[in-house]
Amino acid sequence: MRKGALKKKQRQLEELHLDRREALGELVLGMYVQGNWDDNLLARGAAEVSEVRRELDFLAEGEEPRRPADEPSGEHTAEHDFPATGEYTAEHDLPATGEHTAEHVLRPPGDHTAEHLLPSHRDAAPDPKPAEKEPEPPTVAPTPSATAPVTTAPTPSATAPVSRPPADSPTEIKAAKADQSTKRDKAAEPKKSAKPDRSDSKASVPKATPAGPAAGQAAEAAVAPADPLDELTAKIDAGERRARTAAEAARAALKTESRTELTAITEDVAAERKKLDTALAAAAAAITAAEKKAAAAEAKLARESAAGREAAAVWVRSQAAEIEADAALAAELDRDGNVIPPPPGAKPEGDPDPVLAARVSSLEAELAAEKAAKTEALIKAEARLKEIEASARAAEERVTAAEAAAAAVPADKPVEAAPALHRTEAEAREAAVEWLRGQIGALRKELSGAPSGDAKPDDTPKAGDS
Amino acid sequence: MGIFSRGGQSGRERRAMRDHLDELDEMRRSELGELGKMTVEMAQEGRFDRARLSGQAAEVVKIDREADLIARGLEEGLSLEELEDLARREAEPDTDPGK
Repeated sequence: MRKGALKKKQRQLEELHLDRREALGELVLGMYVQGNWDDNLLARGAAEVSEVRRELDFLAEGEEPRRPADEPSGEHTAEHDFPATGEYTAEHDLPATGEHTAEHVLRPPGDHTAEHLLPSHRDAAPDPKPAEKEPEPPTVAPTPSATAPVTTAPTPSATAPVSRPPADSPTEIKAAKADQSTKRDKAAEPKKSAKPDRSDSKASVPKATPAGPAAGQAAEAAVAPADPLDELTAKIDAGERRARTAAEAARAALKTESRTELTAITEDVAAERKKLDTALAAAAAAITAAEKKAAAAEAKLARESAAGREAAAVWVRSQAAEIEADAALAAELDRDGNVIPPPPGAKPEGDPDPVLAARVSSLEAELAAEKAAKTEALIKAEARLKEIEASARAAEERVTAAEAAAAAVPADKPVEAAPALHRTEAEAREAAVEWLRGQIGALRKELSGAPSGDAKPDDTPKAGDS
Repeated sequence: MGIFSRGGQSGRERRAMRDHLDELDEMRRSELGELGKMTVEMAQEGRFDRARLSGQAAEVVKIDREADLIARGLEEGLSLEELEDLARREAEPDTDPGK
């Protein structure tokens, strides 16, 4: 039973040790995050961890057969005076009633504070329990103080000083118990020496030496001169230190949290900015693609219009050559009609030669046929000219549309060369059309002048022929 | 993508993230314990080596960052790929607040 309790206590102390180590780690982490190192604070935290470690070591030693009788371990003795369960009452030969339990029950926290004011009495005041436990066979194994680890266990998120109330420390509870024992020491004094128990040994050696390493501040109090005021001052200082430590730890935790929040906000902002950048890049890519499409369409239009212009120019050239040939033929015919000199041995007018008349009539018929052919060619040429003009107009419209499309392209596009090219081509086309018009006009003039002049040729050949 | 998936995150991914978060919590406690132990040893030697303490604390900070990232992924329902991208992006400006 006692062994089980011992193990339980050991387990609790181990947990406490781990928790305090983690709390110390949190403290160091807070200092690291803040960049504000405080060696004193670290030393204090380390001392608290060491304190628990020492208690644990002592407990482990207590599991061994028995502690030496002269070992000054008043704290443990004090703990043994406050069994947590009724079985200890039975062991200690106390009546199995609730009153013993009530006696051994730890007092409310306020009492501990009051008791801490009288640490000096502990030196002379061993445990009162031995008086009650005297008839009991020696009980050596330390009884776990069930309250201490439970009440002092810090939460993982908080530092040790924050989570550990000052009066709940095992050491201080022990000191309180020792103080309590001081009140009863006189009644217990005669019986203490008879007990070979550890508490008994403590009674025989009434804390002339400081308590075990686990005693911590209580040990300091035991070593210090028995001045209650000093003890009180020491306690107050310790409390202030703890409060300061707790405040600093809380501040560190707060800064860590605010830093985390700030980091999250910064991350959000960065993510939004990246999204925006991505959207902008997509928009820029879309604009570039649209510009490329516009450029391709423009180039295609330019190619088509160039091909159309080329075809029109070829056709115009062929037509012009045809018309020139017609005009030359007409001029030759005209010249033939006007320039034919009369033969030297021709008969005078008045009595026409029938052969000559037949020839004249055949020539007239031929001329009429020529005229008809020329008129027909002229009509065809006019029609073609109209077609050419229409084609030229269409080409002009295309060129205008191309220029309008080029003007619709954004100003930053390098398309300055295209309008100049279009202008040059339009001018060439215009010149060709003008020349063609001039040619047609001349042809018309020739054709229109031919019938009127035909009277003469009609007559002239007659004269010439004759 | 499962029926109960949220956003781009599948149930398996959510489970994996929760498990990893638990692992990170355990690792954090372990690292903090190591840090405390190291501090106690230094206190016994009477000298605190801040470089070593900072190095150990930086490990804890890394774990915290990763845990924050995983928690964010769980909260926002990010897939593992998205979480990886996010981690890569966050790894670019690698700043150490303690130094």
